[in-house]
Amino acid sequence: MKPQRIDLRGADGVDDVAKRVLETRLSEVRALAGQLESRERRGLHHFRIACKRLRYALERFEALDSSFALAADRLARLQDELGEAHDRDVLLAILPPAMGQTERRLKGEREACVDRGIMLWSELRGLMQAIDSHHF
Amino acid sequence: MKWLAKTIRSERRALERARRRFVREPSEKLLHDVRTTGRRLRSLLEDIAGIAPRRDLLKRVKRAAAATDAARDATIVLRLLESNVTSSERELAQPLLDRLHEEERAAMRDASRRLRRARFGP
Repeated sequence: MKPQRIDLRGADGVDDVAKRVLETRLSEVRALAGQLESRERRGLHHFRIACKRLRYALERFEALDSSFALAADRLARLQDELGEAHDRDVLLAILPPAMGQTERRLKGEREACVDRGIMLWSELRGLMQAIDSHHF
Repeated sequence: MKWLAKTIRSERRALERARRRFVREPSEKLLHDVRTTGRRLRSLLEDIAGIAPRRDLLKRVKRAAAATDAARDATIVLRLLESNVTSSERELAQPLLDRLHEEERAAMRDASRRLRRARFGP
């Protein structure tokens, strides 16, 4: 999914650029967060990519606000969990049908990764709320 | 904006350094470095496209990412299969493991060849 283009015309310094970038990337993440509940491969992938964009933006501007670093760290962990789930999806798609035990193991791990991702997201919602109310 | 020019320069240097190291000695770790520094630069360029468009550079960064996709996929899936296959299904998995080993080698060579020509330094 393509990132939204950010209107930076007339931006007044780094604070203003940070505000506009983070606002846009936060809204992209929120718009895709429902994909976590669906647990479906493609939706999770789009959500993970949106998280990645937000994380990089937070890291880039973390000198402006110490709370950005914590949110970026949690996003990195969420991304890792969803990345692990995605890798299992890729392997499951090419696994020979006769390998039932390995398939069950991979599916179990995949679901556990998504569960941990859901838990991390609920923690992140609070952190994002704080960033939101402080900056936007 | 000074900070912006400085950030772009520093992220370009990071990607160029990672590219050179990978081309010199292709490995899973150095491939990972190329991909992460590339993603950071790409994300920055996309974020600031509204005030400082760098279309040509963005295109090159995307191309570099695409050049490493196959190698990354083969490596990750191979490691995952090796660590998850149950002992009773090892034999069934062997043809796939062999194929993935081959794909990994070929994809690494291809990524290295394609990245040899790329340049990202400021």
